[in-house]
Amino acid sequence: MEIRPILSSLLRNRAGAILVSLQIAITLAIVVNAVFLTQQRVSHIGRPSGIDDQNIFSFWVTSYEPDHDYLGMVREDMALLRQMPGIVDAAPMNQVPLSGSGNSTLFYSLPDKKGENSPANTFETDDHAVKALGIKLSAGTTFDPTTIKYQTTRGTTWPPTGVISEALGKALFKDQPILGNTMYDDQSHPIRIIGVIERMQGSWVGWDKVDRTMLTPSVGPDPSTQYVIRVRPGELDRVMAAVDVALLKRDPNRRLDKAKKMSDMKRRGYANDSLMAVTLSTVTGLVLVFSSLGIFGLATFNVNTRTRQIGTRRAVGARKRDIVRYFMTENWLITTSGVAVGCCLALGIGFWLSTQYQLPRLSLYYLVSGVLGLWLVGQAAAWQPSLRAAKVSPAMATRNT
Amino acid sequence: MFAYYLELALRSFKRNPGLTALMVFAIALGISVCMITLTTYRAASANPAGDRSSILFAPSIDSWDPNQSYDDRDKTLAPTMLTYRDARALYASGIPDRKVIMYKSGGTYRRADKGMAPQYFATRMTTADFFAMFEVPFLYGGAWDAKADAGPDPVLVLSKKGNQEAFGGVNSIGKTVLFKNREFRVVGVLDDWEPMPKYFDVSNGAFQDLEDAYVPFSWGQVMELGSHGNTNCWKTEVIDSFQAFLNSECISFEAWVELRTAEKQRAYREFLDNYVVEQKKHGRFPRPLNNYLYDVDGWLERNQVVQDDNKAMLTMAFAFLAVCLVNTVGLLLAKFLNAAPSAGVRRALGASRRDIFWQHLTESGVVALAGGMVGGLLGLCGIWALRAWYGRFVDEATRALPFDEANFLICVAIAIAAGIAAGLYPAWRIGRAAPASYLKVQ
Repeated sequence: MEIRPILSSLLRNRAGAILVSLQIAITLAIVVNAVFLTQQRVSHIGRPSGIDDQNIFSFWVTSYEPDHDYLGMVREDMALLRQMPGIVDAAPMNQVPLSGSGNSTLFYSLPDKKGENSPANTFETDDHAVKALGIKLSAGTTFDPTTIKYQTTRGTTWPPTGVISEALGKALFKDQPILGNTMYDDQSHPIRIIGVIERMQGSWVGWDKVDRTMLTPSVGPDPSTQYVIRVRPGELDRVMAAVDVALLKRDPNRRLDKAKKMSDMKRRGYANDSLMAVTLSTVTGLVLVFSSLGIFGLATFNVNTRTRQIGTRRAVGARKRDIVRYFMTENWLITTSGVAVGCCLALGIGFWLSTQYQLPRLSLYYLVSGVLGLWLVGQAAAWQPSLRAAKVSPAMATRNT
Repeated sequence: MFAYYLELALRSFKRNPGLTALMVFAIALGISVCMITLTTYRAASANPAGDRSSILFAPSIDSWDPNQSYDDRDKTLAPTMLTYRDARALYASGIPDRKVIMYKSGGTYRRADKGMAPQYFATRMTTADFFAMFEVPFLYGGAWDAKADAGPDPVLVLSKKGNQEAFGGVNSIGKTVLFKNREFRVVGVLDDWEPMPKYFDVSNGAFQDLEDAYVPFSWGQVMELGSHGNTNCWKTEVIDSFQAFLNSECISFEAWVELRTAEKQRAYREFLDNYVVEQKKHGRFPRPLNNYLYDVDGWLERNQVVQDDNKAMLTMAFAFLAVCLVNTVGLLLAKFLNAAPSAGVRRALGASRRDIFWQHLTESGVVALAGGMVGGLLGLCGIWALRAWYGRFVDEATRALPFDEANFLICVAIAIAAGIAAGLYPAWRIGRAAPASYLKVQ
């Protein structure tokens, strides 16, 4: 192969080649890390919540008159809502999943704070929550309506039954069956598990234990709660307006806050992740465009300044194919040196990001793809200038410029 | 001479408009990405306490679980909030020049004359010094006094927004509102005030909305107003009443002290240690003595107000700028070398190497300036677009992405500095070229 003469000619005209390979090195470092980070965010955002989050809205309801019958209000509102057209089901909840606000408590698999323990994101609600959230039970049933605790003062113990997510069950009971098992709070009060939710995310999407959730059968005693309402697909906006009117008509003496779509709350929870993903992929795209422009620019420049040399080579017998091969090889050498430096740089940045910012370590799979990708980009960018070089006529050898 | 160089530069741009545009665009894009990330970063890393930052302190004392540290990330750190008992005890100290204890609560506000639609107001339960300590501006009236704290007197301060909603924005001093069915008299209305980040309460979110009303702390106990912010507990305790909650080891209260001299700061640290040692005798504070007193900068850092994402993005943005600049160096070099013959002629006619160098550096400076301006504008457009996009579901978008002239100027300055740095090598290289070789072939 003709690598030796290409190398020596490169070494005599170092500046441009060094610049391009430096650019390729930084490009590789950025692109590999950016794609890796983006990929993580995208898969994070794409996790299923287990909830029918596109067809749910919720709002706060507060009774403020001193002697207002709060529990009666909730019961009557629910009866009204559940028969409204377009509504699949509705439930009162003290907190709403994916909203960014919630409660978490530590539970144990054995009494006296023994056995396995895990925090659980708890939601106080009634027997309609399963249908109102659109979650799937993989075993057991929802609460018996007669077991819901309608409390006027805050109780100090958890109701004796619970519906928990599979993730919480696995954290507490490992390989034992979850349904029918009993978990305990920190004062050893038992909670028997009567239903297992296949998947349900809790309040904080940024929490690594977001899928450990529990429904507990209790309503009250606070003067405010949230109504969670699930509608038939496509009916969200219509029902949101209708519900406000119907509830205030039934009882104007309380305050209804503005209803929020669960899809908006979810997006809000992931806002930082999607901002990061969007910015990083934009940067990645731009970096690739600029690098190919840079490679293209340098290759064009090289061809332009060497028309006489190319003409001479053609005149002494080099075929067009040889000229193309010469420039492609030259470009490949520059790209390769850039990629070599870039690998170290990428690993360095990846390591630094992972230690400094508690991000996961860069996976090598991305690095290999990045190297292959840049080789392709480099060759593609040099292709057109190389073809132009091949078109230089042998007669150029005899001209001056 | 400079004007002549400028003219030469413009003429050179006309010769290769495509290449020039590419260079300007490269710098512009690099700068705009930097500007967007720098905007978020600077917004998060700002310290609104200004020069009071070094005399305002947040105490952090380790009242946490003996078996588990408070912070998973750094096990040496103590909780960022206080128990009710500790908040009260710290407030009793006479050392600080000013002191405040507080927590976040809220409830329904309305007017007895039904002049206001009942509304939830996030409410800061706090003490009299709050307003002076954090330099809160008043539109009408002023803060309540220490006597009102002790009473507690039924007085409150409304934010400008709260006053707008309760009284339509008129001077409401002396008027009354019902907060959870109890009558309170308005003694002050705040002017526009939006410290960013909300440094005095980062535990409940550094970019959260400010409260609509401020009520004397002691009403919390009287009216049994629970925390509407974060509450963390570790101990097995039966909490069956509000009083039991106040006596528990649950933390949701915050304290700040103003300590103007180093002596007072030392004394206060000593006070904290003595307090904890004293409490240990009563069986509290089971962990080793581990107290901190943070100034505002330290507090923002301890609470990681600047998120890791912000830092990672800033790193990426500057790496991107680096690619754009290396690209520009390459393009400038190619452009200058292409035009080398005319530089050779200038040299032959008597221009010194230095003249050639300055001429080309001027050219790259102009490219950089244009890139910086275009980049700044692109950055503004980018911020505007992001705000429009995120503003639909994140109220904090405007606070996290503020329009800020300073950022624009910083970016243009970075662009010019970087562009000139990028031009140094090509300009030097072209200045060094021997004129003879170019003249020969002409």
